[in-house]
Amino acid sequence: MSLAAGPGRGRKAESKDLELVVDKHVAYVQALDTRRGELEYHLTEHLRISGIYWGLVALHLLGQPDALPRDGLIEYVLSCWCENGGFGAAPGHDAHILYTTSAVQILAMTDGFAELEAKNANRKRKIADFVAGLQQTDGTFAGDEWGERDTRFMACAFITLSLLGYMPAQRPNDNPVVNVDAAVSHIRACQNFDGAFGLTPGAESHSGQVFACLAALSIAGALDSTLPTSAKDRLGAWLSERQQPSGGLNGRPEKLVDVCYSWWVMSSMSMIGRLHWIDREKLVRFVLECQDPDEGGIADRPGDMVDVFHLCFGVAGLSLVRYEGLVEVDAAYCMPKHILDGVLGR
Amino acid sequence: MASHGVPRVSGTATSDKSVAAKEKEQRQIAEYKGLEKDVIDRIKGKDFSNDTFQATSRLLQQNPEYHTIWNHRRILLQDVFRRELASGNSAVITTQADEAHNGDVQAASKAGLTLAQQEISLLLSEDLAFLIPLLKQYPKCYWIWNHRAWLLAKATELLPVRTASQMWRGELALVSKMLVLDSRNFHAWSYRRSTVEQIELLEGKSLAEDEFAYTTKMVNTNLSNFSAWHNRGQLLPRLLHERQATDEERKTTFDAELELITRALYTDPYDQSLWFYHQYLTSTLVISSSSDANGDARRTNILAAPISHVTSIAYLEQEIASIEDMLDGAEDCKYIYQALLEYSQRLQELADGSTDIVEPSKMASWLDEVRKLDPLREGRWLDLAVSLKL
Ligand SMILES: [Zn+2]
Repeated sequence: MSLAAGPGRGRKAESKDLELVVDKHVAYVQALDTRRGELEYHLTEHLRISGIYWGLVALHLLGQPDALPRDGLIEYVLSCWCENGGFGAAPGHDAHILYTTSAVQILAMTDGFAELEAKNANRKRKIADFVAGLQQTDGTFAGDEWGERDTRFMACAFITLSLLGYMPAQRPNDNPVVNVDAAVSHIRACQNFDGAFGLTPGAESHSGQVFACLAALSIAGALDSTLPTSAKDRLGAWLSERQQPSGGLNGRPEKLVDVCYSWWVMSSMSMIGRLHWIDREKLVRFVLECQDPDEGGIADRPGDMVDVFHLCFGVAGLSLVRYEGLVEVDAAYCMPKHILDGVLGR
Repeated sequence: MASHGVPRVSGTATSDKSVAAKEKEQRQIAEYKGLEKDVIDRIKGKDFSNDTFQATSRLLQQNPEYHTIWNHRRILLQDVFRRELASGNSAVITTQADEAHNGDVQAASKAGLTLAQQEISLLLSEDLAFLIPLLKQYPKCYWIWNHRAWLLAKATELLPVRTASQMWRGELALVSKMLVLDSRNFHAWSYRRSTVEQIELLEGKSLAEDEFAYTTKMVNTNLSNFSAWHNRGQLLPRLLHERQATDEERKTTFDAELELITRALYTDPYDQSLWFYHQYLTSTLVISSSSDANGDARRTNILAAPISHVTSIAYLEQEIASIEDMLDGAEDCKYIYQALLEYSQRLQELADGSTDIVEPSKMASWLDEVRKLDPLREGRWLDLAVSLKL
């Protein structure tokens, strides 16, 4: 899977009605691994497993979950496993919580946990221990053994642990592997007067962090207890102001619109039940204008190079607003909802 | 989950490239893969030499996003630190030092460093310098900031307080430079806050006054800088607490801030970041009126706590009147109507329905204007109409 940008640019199809070019996008994802002749293919290897996750989510939501060979995907993911229990982005790369999450998400989407356990028993437990071991006393999670922290990693941790079945609420009879209460109080400390969340207590609000905090709260089952109606209104107001006249959304006041930020903002609004506070039609139009109608792929903004990252979040955004023909996405996990219903038994 | 910003080259697609360009790209790939293999083989073979270190430099210059290589670099540095500390160069003043090292010993002891610390300090400074051109080229690359933070944490851990704090001070100067280039760089602002925190810990004194002055400078340069306003709002309660401000001084400061932001809003009511700061200031009114007068509240409040309902109501009424005046010549500015609605709603809550402080017909007309001006958020305005019972 290549993360190289392009080949095309996002633009409006001439003399055609705007519509999602599903087949082109599927072909785009399938062709990504044939681009080894490009330097950028190699320069982006440090993201490869996340690239597979982005491509696979897009395929699932586009209704073509089998467009990439299942065995190949699982084999690749397992080849990224590290002795410490985490996954690297590519074989030989060091483990990090970001790539561990992507790996587990791919295994969930390919129904590959049996293959994981077949490698050697208790691998699920080892992954859970790796993730749990990254939690600090203040409730935050480090990204790896080198210790940098980020609210994003908290969401990664809860996504990963819940998919593996190791969140404390999923195992009421076992000793909890992580301290959920400490994590939740840290998230509360990151909330600002505008209702949104920052990277650390006192840091400026940022929609990427809002998504991470809401995803973590929602998986921890602490969303409603943390955010009463008035807080949801306040946060919803801040989030809804991210939509710009072009229909796209930005990540912070006065920044440029971007397809991926449109997803972080919309999924957040969805988690607090305020998605109807933005203009659906304009948003759909914006995303469709960011796709390359001939060769597939979606860009951050019309006119820019397309890539698989923005393809994933563009399609996920469309799915969230129930664009016709797309499989329903889950806002907290950015994965197909029906898969989560199965894995989480909900 | 993803870090944002997949690299985007401005070149053309492979199929459009000339034969020469394709050949050049193949050579670049071969070189890059060769360098990568060299670094990985050396690390696997536990070759922790300076040559390996230089090889990681070359690789990271080509690809600063390659986090595993940053990890390798830290392993190499840690190995040198360990060897330095174990080498016995621990004496600050060595009377029987050999001639060749005499100069070094004197220089080091002058700075209060052992020879080992002198070496470590040099290595850390060199690596911090190595990152500068990379940061300029990739100001949003997470891993570069991450590596800087690690180097400086090592300075705190391994060097005397004075030397470490000098390094952190240098870092603060660098962040200031970065913020001149991009005054909204998110990493730079959050890095600035953590840098200040470290200096405060090392030097045992608060930098709140300096940082507050810095935000004044930043907003004076460009009013439309929400990051600077945000930081200002965070510093204000702390500053007043540290000044041991009297109730009267707190009120003077609060009034001055309100005046500053109101003047800015008169200049440009279409600027969202100014409204957010205004909202922040008024939000402290409500928070303080509902919290008690313990020490904790004094640290998070601007006005002295507890604020009476009377005071809160007076401020909100004053602000509503002043914002209504802004409409003159800016009748198409939706933020004005939004603010009027928000503050009126809060005012009604505070007054607890005793009387209609703001006439419902006025609120209804403001809501009509917002709906006209802001059809994107129609759903929100409909919900608001319901909650305001309009
Ligand atoms: Zn983007």
